[in-house]
Amino acid sequence: MKSSLGRTVLFVVIGAFVLVPLAQTIMTSFVSTLPRAGITEGHFSLVNYRNILNSPVLKQAILNSIIYVVLNVALCLGVGLPAAYAFARYSFVGDRQLFFLLLVFRITPTVVLSLPIFVLFAQIGLENTPVGIALVHCVFNIPISIWILEGFIASVPREFDETAFLDGHSLPSFFFRHLVPAIAPGIGVTAFFCFIFSWVEVVLARILTTTGGKPITMAINALFGFRTDFGLVMAMTVLALVPGIAMIYFVRNHLAKGFVIRT
Amino acid sequence: MKPYDNRAWFLVLPALVIVTLVGILPLIAVTNYSFQDLFSLNNPYWIGIDWYRNIVTSDRFYASLGRSFLFSAIVLSIQLPLGIWIALLLQRSHQFIVSTVLVLITVPLVVPWNMIPVIWLNFINPNAGLAGRMLAWLGVGFDYKFNALHTWIVLVVMDTWHWLGLVVVLAYAGISSIPAAYYQAAAIDAASPWQVFRFIQLPKMKTVLSMAVLLRFMDSFMIYIEAFRINAGRPDSATAFLSLDLGEEIQSFNYGPSAARSIIYFLIVLTVAWTFKAATSTRARAPVGMEPTR
Repeated sequence: MKSSLGRTVLFVVIGAFVLVPLAQTIMTSFVSTLPRAGITEGHFSLVNYRNILNSPVLKQAILNSIIYVVLNVALCLGVGLPAAYAFARYSFVGDRQLFFLLLVFRITPTVVLSLPIFVLFAQIGLENTPVGIALVHCVFNIPISIWILEGFIASVPREFDETAFLDGHSLPSFFFRHLVPAIAPGIGVTAFFCFIFSWVEVVLARILTTTGGKPITMAINALFGFRTDFGLVMAMTVLALVPGIAMIYFVRNHLAKGFVIRT
Repeated sequence: MKPYDNRAWFLVLPALVIVTLVGILPLIAVTNYSFQDLFSLNNPYWIGIDWYRNIVTSDRFYASLGRSFLFSAIVLSIQLPLGIWIALLLQRSHQFIVSTVLVLITVPLVVPWNMIPVIWLNFINPNAGLAGRMLAWLGVGFDYKFNALHTWIVLVVMDTWHWLGLVVVLAYAGISSIPAAYYQAAAIDAASPWQVFRFIQLPKMKTVLSMAVLLRFMDSFMIYIEAFRINAGRPDSATAFLSLDLGEEIQSFNYGPSAARSIIYFLIVLTVAWTFKAATSTRARAPVGMEPTR
């Protein structure tokens, strides 16, 4: 009884620690923070959200972010699934070295690669486009998707594959009809982690969008100036949180399983 | 034992092509830049290892390196035990509480990185922020602009707020993969909770925890936006981390020196990752105790 009370208290403290700074952000987003005609400064108002809806630049930034993140998730799953299957089911020349190489790119500071990526993408016309950012975020998201998916595939018994092949399924048909449904939670968790790492990344998104195609993070940066409208900044931040929180909600029961790998 | 089949390479190839384009090629380019004096990118002049020599003989580099390691060490020694403790408590909780806590604690992970310092500066603002006003009300003179210790406290607390969720998720993943039979055996042997933790849970969590250490080490080691936004390395360079020096160099378009700095940075990352690989690859590869999902 005593320990369950202690646990509850601890969880409440953690909840408060996480939520209070966010609560203040949400509160500020509903307050007019600049002097405006007809709206009392410091009182409840929807003006910030209305301003976002009336700004083509901010709306475009939200759309840009959604496009490149969706593209990135699709790319990472598209190439990550077959690679994870190879690592989970087969031994091949250089498999361990390749796994390590991928891991190294997950943890390489993005700033290290930023300059040549900018030069390279400028040469092939991929700067200022959501496709460019989607591609560049693969450098850390492909390793993470292979890592998570490999754990999920390895937990499916090998007999599962063998039975499907005996039944006459080809590899692609087995993939889409049997393996993908069997590891659906794993795919959800992978999509979640690719989504968040791509959604929150700033360094590469900034260098690749010097003129156009700005994501939501850079649009927020551009709002800072001589007289920053903090209410508007916070309203954009709150909007930036919505897709992430929605994704967390959908994968909440599988979140932890994503990292259950060989023990 | 997995079958040996080199045709598996074809399955890995698409991933490798993309990683080559966005990872390996840029890395080769950075290495090339680091040996050149670049007036512009089309006008290189070979200067050998001069940039490297300048960096490794400067006191500033070692001071920044030391600060970066210290920050990572502090952050890890707080977040790792705290994350494991929360995960252990979660394991004994109702499924609804587990879901709620996991959802809550991962919310900061989806905040865009450049917004985290904005949220926290708003929170500790002495005039408008809840924490700032609370500290003022308690009579605590908190000045993160001119007091180095206070800047460090803000950075550590903010980083913990941001990343604790990842450690909890990883630790909880490790704990929930332990088969019930281990606990039953421990109960029969009348093992104490500490013994269960020390001899069952901790060894079983080793892989995911080493991953947590690695990810947390790297992300805290390259902390940039947060430190830059809060105090830009001040006061008195007390928060001038390695990443801030690199950022400064890149922003001044010093291609050669910033490339050399990047390579040194990358080599540190590689050394740490290699050490981890060596430390964790002694274990045998075995299937997890996780039930198949179908």
